[in-house]
Amino acid sequence: MKGIGKALARTPFAVTSKIGMSKKSADPEFDDYQRHFTSMEKAAEALIKDTKAFTDAVMTLFMSEANFAQHFVVIFQPIAGEYDLMGKHPDAASTIRNVTKYEAAMAEMKEVITPEVELIETRIAGPAKELQAVMKLIRKTITKRDHKLTDYDRFNNSLTKLRDKKDKSLSDEKNLFKLEQDFEIATNEYEYINNALKQDFPRFMMLSTQFIDPLFNSFFYMQLNIYYLLLEKLNSFADDCKYDISNQPGTQIVEEYEGKRTDAWSLIENLGIVKRIVSVSRLVQQSRAQNQTLGRQTSTSALGSTSPALRAAPPPARSISSASSFKKTAPPPPSSSSSLAPPPYSATSSVASSASSAAATKRAPPPPPPLKPKPKAAPQIKYVVALYDFAAQTDGDLSFNAGDRIELVEKTDSAEDWWTGRVNGAQGVFPGKVVWC
Amino acid sequence: MSWAGFKKSVNRAGTTLLQKTGQIERTVDREFADEEAKYRIFEKECQALQKDSKAYWDAIKAMTAAQSRIAETLETFYGAADRSSDGAMAGHAYKRSVDDLDTTFSRELDVPFRTTISEPLGKMCAYYPVINEHIAKRNKKLLDYDSARSKLRKLIDKPSEDPTKLPKAQQEHDECKEMFDMLNDQLIAELPQLLDLRVPYFDPSFEAMIRMQAKFAEEGYEKLSGVQRYFADNVRDDYAAGQLDAQVEGILQEMRELSICGGN
Repeated sequence: MKGIGKALARTPFAVTSKIGMSKKSADPEFDDYQRHFTSMEKAAEALIKDTKAFTDAVMTLFMSEANFAQHFVVIFQPIAGEYDLMGKHPDAASTIRNVTKYEAAMAEMKEVITPEVELIETRIAGPAKELQAVMKLIRKTITKRDHKLTDYDRFNNSLTKLRDKKDKSLSDEKNLFKLEQDFEIATNEYEYINNALKQDFPRFMMLSTQFIDPLFNSFFYMQLNIYYLLLEKLNSFADDCKYDISNQPGTQIVEEYEGKRTDAWSLIENLGIVKRIVSVSRLVQQSRAQNQTLGRQTSTSALGSTSPALRAAPPPARSISSASSFKKTAPPPPSSSSSLAPPPYSATSSVASSASSAAATKRAPPPPPPLKPKPKAAPQIKYVVALYDFAAQTDGDLSFNAGDRIELVEKTDSAEDWWTGRVNGAQGVFPGKVVWC
Repeated sequence: MSWAGFKKSVNRAGTTLLQKTGQIERTVDREFADEEAKYRIFEKECQALQKDSKAYWDAIKAMTAAQSRIAETLETFYGAADRSSDGAMAGHAYKRSVDDLDTTFSRELDVPFRTTISEPLGKMCAYYPVINEHIAKRNKKLLDYDSARSKLRKLIDKPSEDPTKLPKAQQEHDECKEMFDMLNDQLIAELPQLLDLRVPYFDPSFEAMIRMQAKFAEEGYEKLSGVQRYFADNVRDDYAAGQLDAQVEGILQEMRELSICGGN
């Protein structure tokens, strides 16, 4: 109630001083401090906000890292009924072997980081909030000082006006006496609070700097620790799983990634199901046309397996079997491909990669086309290219050198089997997986 | 929707209803169902991966940006009293190193992250709508086939007066079957291929991801630890011993004792 009375009493002065009718006193020294203080208030608020932003970002970082790992694992594990991913993709073996460890490492890291983030919240954000509370108290004092200043100015103005009045009535005299008293009180109150502020402000500024020093140091070590924990964990993971994580420029990471990128990209692009359907009836017509060239082999499997090839080129021009059409999508033989941009498995000539190109032969021609129903109408001579040397182990084996063209006499649709072939006039059997077809 | 499309969808809705009530037999294709289930898992996981990888990258950005802003705020605090104090120097060094981090991350990791993680994932995820369209088409053609088959069967069971009806139904049945088989066989043949190819497709991303994470941690650690040189010798131990917290508390207490905080 008292507050409202005071506020009402001060209102007329606030209006008149705004429009310049009454004088308002100013204290430059105080104003300077106050300006500083306002910027400090903003800084404290920003600190609290950004600390929060930082901790949130750290939490999201580790959260998404852990989630990423978790989903990555699913991709590199057999999905419902698949088996032996590692056998099918020997190149990716190290990834397949290590994803689970990676997931564990990331999940662990998330656990480790949580207390760190809590530490920031209690040790940094907490004190910053308390500082803000202190600042609010000071702000309250400033407001009070402003009110007292208003009172001081108000009484000062009325007093001057009354004193300047030429002929004073009796009540004016009485008022004058009362005003003088009020003015004195207002002056005292204002002086007191103003001086207190002026005296304490420099002290407060000093203390804030002293306050920020340890706070900043702590915060710094906490941040450093986050990077450290991350680095530590990754190092131990990389050690464990034989990854080279020495610090290299980002461009190198890209280059090496490109180097490892396989023909899987183009193989996927060549799949029929990733192409938009324009019209089903046109597809049917195409597949009919295809079947006619195939000598009316209208088995359903032929229908399905030829369709990816359908879209690659106008079908009627082709007279070879559906199986061989897949060779278009497969990477070219090693000898000719060393300069191609997205290198397939076989681009380099080291031993390791020739092993991987053997893997590519197993994978590259997409599995389903049954190679057996070769059209009898076209008994073409088929050649395969040897990927590495093969020396006969028993009678009946066929010896050849890497790069030899072997005439296929008989083959099965599994590269795990032994095939029959002819090279340099000799005929014999050899393992299907050492050749490129 | 075109008139023909509308007619088709009305007919199919009717077929679905009749199948639900058991009037028309529904084709059950275990093989396709299996492949589709696997594909759905793959689709879901990839989409989750895409989301998480984006969140990861955004978090890195947000983290360095917050550090940068904090460094600016520190300068305001140090500006309040003494700009040339040791603390102010350290604050300045901190600002420089976090700014450096920010630019390093965008310069060194932006492109690699896009090439090795975002793009492969984005490309894969872009295939899904098309594949889903294939599946949807296949399901529609299956309905057509089911309905044509049941019509044909009824005509065979109860021959109509009109002799032209049976060959017509037979032809319709054959056409539907051909369409359905084509789509179905393609899906059954290619979905496993797609699933199988996911391994070589995503394999190189794994190592790249690890290396980028390591790079992030290492750069962050190295750049930041340089700031320590500007600290007083005892700071590190004080931090470890919790002394710094006590200092902060002590100063806060001193502040509260100021007369201007008494609220008088």
